[in-house]
Amino acid sequence: MIVELGAFALILSLLLSVAQTGLSAVGGARRSPVLAGAGRGAALATFLALLVSFAALIYAFVTSDFSVANVAANSHTDKPMLYKVAGAWGSHEGSMLLWCLVLTGYGAAMAFFGDSLPPRLRAYAIAVQGALGVLFLAYTVFASNPLARLLDAPIEGRSLNPLLQDPALAFHPPFLYAGYVGFSVVYSLSLAALIEGRIDAAWARWVRPWTLAAWSLLTVGITLGAFWAYYELGWGGWWFWDPVENASFMPWLIGAALLHSAIVTERRGALPGWTAFLALAAYTFSMLGAFLVRSGVLTSVHAFAVDPTRGVLLLIMMGVAAGAGFLLFGIRAPSLNRGGQFRPISRESAIVLNNILLSTATAVVLLGTLYPLIREAMDGEAVSVGAPFFNLTFTPLMILAFAVLPAGPLLAWKRGDAKGVARKLWIVLALAALLGLIAYAVVQPRKALASGGLVVGFWLIGGALLEMGERLKLFRASVAESLRRARGLPRGAWGTTLAHAGLGVFVLGASFETAWRVEAAQALSLNGSQPLGAYTVTLTDVVTVEGPNFLAERGIVTVTNKVGAEVCRAAPERRFYPTGAQTTSEVAICAKGLDDIYVVMGERRAGEGGKPAWLVRAYVNPWVRLIFLGPLLMAIGGIVSLSDRRVRLGVGRRTGEATS
Amino acid sequence: MIAFWIAAAGLSVVTAGLVLREAARARPVDDADTRLEPHRRRLAEVERLAQDGLLAEDELKAARAEAGRSLLAAAEQSETWPRDGAGPRKVAVAAVGLACALAAGLYIVVGRPGLPDQPFTQRVAAWRAADPATLDPGKIAAVLEGVAAERPNDPEPLVFMAKARAAAGDMAGAEQALRKAVRIAPKRADIWSLLGETFVIEAKGQIGSDAKLAFGEALKADPADVRARYYLARARIAEGDVAGGLADWRGLLAGLAPNAPGRESLAAEIALVQASGKLPGAEPAAEANPQVQGMIAGMVDGLAQRLKQSPDDPDGWVRLVRAYAVLGETTKRDAALATATALFKDQPKVMSALRQAADTPAQAKTTTP
Repeated sequence: MIVELGAFALILSLLLSVAQTGLSAVGGARRSPVLAGAGRGAALATFLALLVSFAALIYAFVTSDFSVANVAANSHTDKPMLYKVAGAWGSHEGSMLLWCLVLTGYGAAMAFFGDSLPPRLRAYAIAVQGALGVLFLAYTVFASNPLARLLDAPIEGRSLNPLLQDPALAFHPPFLYAGYVGFSVVYSLSLAALIEGRIDAAWARWVRPWTLAAWSLLTVGITLGAFWAYYELGWGGWWFWDPVENASFMPWLIGAALLHSAIVTERRGALPGWTAFLALAAYTFSMLGAFLVRSGVLTSVHAFAVDPTRGVLLLIMMGVAAGAGFLLFGIRAPSLNRGGQFRPISRESAIVLNNILLSTATAVVLLGTLYPLIREAMDGEAVSVGAPFFNLTFTPLMILAFAVLPAGPLLAWKRGDAKGVARKLWIVLALAALLGLIAYAVVQPRKALASGGLVVGFWLIGGALLEMGERLKLFRASVAESLRRARGLPRGAWGTTLAHAGLGVFVLGASFETAWRVEAAQALSLNGSQPLGAYTVTLTDVVTVEGPNFLAERGIVTVTNKVGAEVCRAAPERRFYPTGAQTTSEVAICAKGLDDIYVVMGERRAGEGGKPAWLVRAYVNPWVRLIFLGPLLMAIGGIVSLSDRRVRLGVGRRTGEATS
Repeated sequence: MIAFWIAAAGLSVVTAGLVLREAARARPVDDADTRLEPHRRRLAEVERLAQDGLLAEDELKAARAEAGRSLLAAAEQSETWPRDGAGPRKVAVAAVGLACALAAGLYIVVGRPGLPDQPFTQRVAAWRAADPATLDPGKIAAVLEGVAAERPNDPEPLVFMAKARAAAGDMAGAEQALRKAVRIAPKRADIWSLLGETFVIEAKGQIGSDAKLAFGEALKADPADVRARYYLARARIAEGDVAGGLADWRGLLAGLAPNAPGRESLAAEIALVQASGKLPGAEPAAEANPQVQGMIAGMVDGLAQRLKQSPDDPDGWVRLVRAYAVLGETTKRDAALATATALFKDQPKVMSALRQAADTPAQAKTTTP
């Protein structure tokens, strides 16, 4: 009964979404408080019905109800409970339901928290959110129903891909979707404002918190994904410019651009058209990601193997949603107010430059992602676009953006003082260059480009700290005065510093790890050793272990330093999952401060003299922790900004006049 | 079914209630506050910057003027929403009522209202209560998994579970069960040799190091273990020591009772290897595994017994005839076909299915002693 109640609730949510769209649109157009109120109620009801449906799917996974086709295809009775639950969103159908849940959740949040929004804008935004819900829910009900039943239930399920049975990946999709789909609110607000024909500071004030929330969640989602790729796939890397990674990175880049342009629109009333365009583009890129992952057009470790019919349907949905948005934008944009004026040297101009660079970078990533598809369609040739392309195109754009970044927050609105900013920043530049030179002289082998990368990282961190120092009048006023200023400083300012410094931390980690990673791979018999930079790696034992749903060979690998002292003992595994007969490598990582010693064990083979041997690949990944810490700081920065009262006023019920 | 519809109706009422509650709480609105607030805030910020000495006099004037202009523009754009009459309320009730009714209608078309939940534990409980002869090996394995969990120190359920899994074609699952069983009873030669045989089947007839290790353990526990001796001798032949392997086989044959199962096939195999100097190319297939064969034979006997007691089961007879045909038991197959023909001669569909089942080709059988 519970599963069928879930199936009914899914259909009910589709029909309630239709009601939400109709009631809110008519309510807004006719200025009817009752109809707009009913539309808000429908948004809450849609979310409630979908919660019931999602709970029913989780129940089916937890109880291993193989009469549900999705459970039979993606679960198994031997699977640990966490992965049974995570299996609910591990498949195409289940993840579509998660997408719909998040989409309707954001609609309900707009209905519940949106009292400070002008009523017509709110009604139209809820109507648009409802229309998006209708599209995605109809697709889920008719083409990807996760609660579809089997009349003859199999005895056992086919289980979830073992690579996906991992804690980071259990939580990666919910964060990723909360980010992806969070941009739907921004899209809805943008479309609603275009219908109204009014894009002004009030509108930007509304867009900003949703953008911040979506962008921060997407940052966490992407970081979890990169971390998973790093320690689960066993390739030693963390980003592969895989099409599906790019699909999540594009909305992130556009979201970052939108975050900044929305500030200009809010503070100065400028760039309204551009901000609305970015708001439409962010969700369009999210939908493009969904299409790329699910249509079967791309081959990727992440891609769901889904038939082309569903892909065509998704393409049509994306075409309808994005087409409607950009068509209306095309009609309305010429009549939008151009807003406040500003000089070429001003904070606005710095943000415009940031936006141009981020948008160009997004276009480059889009080209790199779609180029193989275009070539295949044109002349049937299969090509792949990887790191060399992105290093030559994307990286220079980002370096340019990073070079300008610390100056932006120091410039005044409207008319900035370039010389004054340069006077403040030269010390940061000098320090960063000095640290880069030291790295060039000390770290072996000498690498000029990577040392340059470190200069950029230190420049970003130093710039962020300097800006905070300026705000607090650090060393220029008394300690008491600086403390008073720190207490009075809006959280948004702290968030900006954290996010910009986080970016610097990431650049440091990425430059160092990519340039100075040490790798060694050799087939080792028991007690065999191989050198790994300043360490020695010895395979001391191999034991057989039995997990809840796998059998494994576990290597005991001892890592020693130059004087022979044990640094750590790693236990990489080669796991065999009988269900599905799949083999995976379980990486063992020894964390040494910011560095990782990373060990992977291959399958057993015949070594010298017929003795069994195992291919042991080991890496020293210096400063790799910074790669994950940096984005985490950025996400925390976003959340701290979101907690700023000035921003929160855009979401919560109004409690009084803002103070700053 | 009734409980489902009550729950569905309950959910519809709650969601409809949410819609109507929000509609009922709606009040006439004046959006001036929401429209003006950000502009007021901007004006306040300009004043604060001026206070902090961050704006020059002319900049302050310009900023004030700009903020003031936008405040006025926003004030002109503000609008009021009047109180609604009865019409919109009726529309809201109709819309939500229609949504719920259409949802019920659509669900009847695409859903399966009568289909109950089928949690795994409930299904296993039902199989456990059923006559084992009616269950296929996969279900038997699922039941035995529960029994094994109830008796964690008893290897028997695990051994039977392994046999059932093997019969269902799940050799990896069989291996897993036998690994657990040898941990519980490390002195049981029969379990070690079964585990070894499972490795051999998984390796498509190759006797690898894992299998040798398992057979070695079996011989440590019981030097006379027939299965382990058979396979280790076979491994010697496969590795080129034909004479040594044959000698081991002959020794094994000499020790077997005259009526021991598999004695004849071992003698035939010895003759074959002696003549050709190598093992025949055929490798023991999973379905030819003696354990699997024994398992299937037991199930077929169970089915025959059941049909004897309640013969009015055309599907059962078709399965029985097919099973005998697959096992190569032609006499039993013909006897079952004759009995079934007498019972169902008036039902052409059943007769056609029976004839098809009888024509199923038998599988080649190689058994170990």
